[in-house]
Amino acid sequence: MTDAIIWVVALPLAGALAALLLPRLATAVAVGTAVATSVSAAALLRGVATQGVLHYELGGWSAGLGIALRADGLSAMLLMMTALVVLAASIYTSAYITAPAERARFWPLWLLLWTALNALLLSGDLFNLYVTLELLGLSAVALAAFGGKRAAVAAALRYLLVGLLGSMMFLAGVSLIYAGYGTLDMAQLAHMVTAGPTAWTALALMTAGLLLKTALFPLHFWLPPAHASAPAPVSAVLSALVVKAAFYLVLRLWLHVFADVVTPAAANLLGALGAAAVLWGSWQALQAERLKLLAAYSTVAQLGYLFMFFPLLQALPSVTARDVAAGGLVMLALTHGFAKAGLFLAIGIIQQRSGHDSIQQLDGTAQRLPATTFSIALAGVALIGLPPSGAFLGKWQLLAGAVATGQWVWVVVTAIGSLLAMAYIFRVIGHAFGHQSYPNLPVTVAREEWPALLLAAVAVLGLGLAGAPVWQLLEIRV
Amino acid sequence: MNSTSLLVFDVLLLVSILSLAWASLATRDARNSVILFMAFGLVLAVAWSRLMAPDVALAEAAIGSGLSGALLLAAVYRSRGQQPAAQQQSTGEHNTSAATVAARWAVTLLSAAVAGVLAWALLHASGSAPHDTLPLAIAANLDASGVSNPVTAVLLNFRAYDTLLELAVLLTAVLGIFALGPAAAGYRPAGPVFAGLTRWLVPLLILAAGYLLWAGAHAPGGAFQAGATLAAAGVVLRLAGRQHIGLPAGGTLRVLIAAGAGVFLTVGLVLFMTGRPFLGYPTAWAGTLILLIESAAMLAIAATLVLAFVGGRPQAAGTPAHTAGAKPVPGNPGKE
Amino acid sequence: MLTTQLLYGLAACFIVALGLRTALLHASLLHRVIAINVMGAGVFMLLIAVAYRGPGQQPDPLPHALVLTGIVVAVSATALALALARRLAAEHDDD
Repeated sequence: MTDAIIWVVALPLAGALAALLLPRLATAVAVGTAVATSVSAAALLRGVATQGVLHYELGGWSAGLGIALRADGLSAMLLMMTALVVLAASIYTSAYITAPAERARFWPLWLLLWTALNALLLSGDLFNLYVTLELLGLSAVALAAFGGKRAAVAAALRYLLVGLLGSMMFLAGVSLIYAGYGTLDMAQLAHMVTAGPTAWTALALMTAGLLLKTALFPLHFWLPPAHASAPAPVSAVLSALVVKAAFYLVLRLWLHVFADVVTPAAANLLGALGAAAVLWGSWQALQAERLKLLAAYSTVAQLGYLFMFFPLLQALPSVTARDVAAGGLVMLALTHGFAKAGLFLAIGIIQQRSGHDSIQQLDGTAQRLPATTFSIALAGVALIGLPPSGAFLGKWQLLAGAVATGQWVWVVVTAIGSLLAMAYIFRVIGHAFGHQSYPNLPVTVAREEWPALLLAAVAVLGLGLAGAPVWQLLEIRV
Repeated sequence: MNSTSLLVFDVLLLVSILSLAWASLATRDARNSVILFMAFGLVLAVAWSRLMAPDVALAEAAIGSGLSGALLLAAVYRSRGQQPAAQQQSTGEHNTSAATVAARWAVTLLSAAVAGVLAWALLHASGSAPHDTLPLAIAANLDASGVSNPVTAVLLNFRAYDTLLELAVLLTAVLGIFALGPAAAGYRPAGPVFAGLTRWLVPLLILAAGYLLWAGAHAPGGAFQAGATLAAAGVVLRLAGRQHIGLPAGGTLRVLIAAGAGVFLTVGLVLFMTGRPFLGYPTAWAGTLILLIESAAMLAIAATLVLAFVGGRPQAAGTPAHTAGAKPVPGNPGKE
Repeated sequence: MLTTQLLYGLAACFIVALGLRTALLHASLLHRVIAINVMGAGVFMLLIAVAYRGPGQQPDPLPHALVLTGIVVAVSATALALALARRLAAEHDDD
């Protein structure tokens, strides 16, 4: 249904305004909005699956004069992932944040973040993307600083400045495109853009800005402190969704709008940076002393895997092979989204119960919080890429593509990265299963434990066992 | 004005703009930097007028230079209250170790390279004839848009969705500011000169805001410029140490800041649910709807910008207007 | 391309570079915030130069609308950045 394309953006925005105007009912409004938006996202996914690419011209003006929204297989799947993760995190937050004043301030910002994510995923206009990026950045920063702790505020400030720098570069690229081609509509540009100084420079600027926002090595320095100091549900959404949104834009620009302009050298550069991210991120995660820091570095590493697909997509000879590889890429992105969100939510439970998230002092966690530990273990399986998780399918495609094109370096990096991931996940599990003689059994809150568990389960079982539709949906493309 | 004198004017204007930008970024004193930045913004507004962009010039002067400058200046004075003046000098470019000098040169070269590449691409982009598809489409559809100012038509009709999200951006910023803590205590009540100035400046600003809102449909102006002018009135009142700066309290304030995005979204959804495209105004109603949305937006923008200047959750009515000795008083004329 | 467009376009690139340099280098938060605003002004000048069509003709209104949106977004971000800095300074004093 094409209607869903509007509801998916309008509902979170309306919910944010309602939560603002009705502070005492904010939690109810927020969870209700979450359910409604998830239903719309599902309707949108079904609409794309049955009708193909969905277009919507806002205001009735033709694309170019006005702004067009487009939903294809890729954006619909990411939208669905966003909806499920935010729904789970919202239920979690309804139990995690209890003070009424805090709730009244939190929910509007949370729903505005979701509005930004959905608007970004559906936008078909370059300048509109800039506005959604700014909305995303500001709401993410405001949420990252929520609670006002010094570490969080400092990290959020750095995040904001880095984000602004990235947005400015993106806008410079957009301006060049308008100067060169006279339109901002991405579908039109896909037909018009040809290799040349304008297109190269614009793509370089926009990509640089987006790489800052997606924290690709070496521009990742802002991510670990920001994600590690934010409140647990915020960290979940930041790692699983916000950085993914910037990556989605890189994908969209490189594969669709500027497809004719991209050179193998540029793709190899992205791949090399991705490889460095995998190695550096995994190594830092292994050395992390705090769970949240470990999870944040793991995000840096996992994003690296996504970028290693770029040289493969350039080099694979046939369209079929490229489509299969692209499916692996999306599978990896989706799995990471669910797994990382589940991981952060679970860590949040531990942090709340123990007052800290230090890895060395995790003894007895398995005894006290069995469900939470299981969630962490499941999420870990997905992060390592063991079967049957969706990440296994994704990494398999990565390896297959690398072997097929003879680019063995990616195979080596993936192997090392997965080994390091195994090491840091097992380190956490090992400590968690450490025996404590007299564990005090805490009160477990179902609303917190179930979302974490379900998210991790989707990553491992849902996507892994029922993953075929991903490839089918990807074929529906703009 | 013949083209040579215009060229001379352009060169002089650009030289001043570049000098002001350089000076603002190079000077170490924080306050001087902000004041030079405000001057930069004002000369920039002249440049926008020269390039036949009066709407942008108004917005640049009011928001880009005026309100941003006020925000920055308030930040400078606030940190002066917390640190002795000697530490105000930024430590930006003091270090002379070899590594830092090398890093500095590397960044300078990088920036120069970016500028060069950008210029090269721009030259190439504009080598072909200017692309006129969109300007022609805008002119062709202007009558159906409900306003005769093409910039307003683009902002409130053709690309209304962008403006809706932009109002959401403003709302997000102010909610983020609220979440960070309560506002600082206000300034001390102003002396007689400033208080007298306030008494006629504020009504003038309110009148100007109303005019800009109304004029925006057919002349340069619109919700953003009007909102910024109204916000200026609020800033002046706050600087004069008044407790009531025109903002309501509690629930009404929330309604006010939500009004911009709220009215916009409501109009869009009502149209959507009655079968029209989202934000697709019927031609006969377009002018009225745009005015309605712009009025709500003006109030929301004004409230948001004043709250941004206030810098935190507004104090409940009845709290003391200031804490003794807490901060310096820029509102006092004749000093500095 | 008109001489005027060329002139302002090149100046815009220079302004972007100025802002970028200070944004990357300077230690003081205030200077970095100003630098990002200056960068923004450069990009805006780029857009408005592209929109200009000469003394007799109407300019292209679309970039003007984009710049207006950009100005408002920039002030929102500046306000949030300064509020974060203020909170940070307050925390520092409490330590």
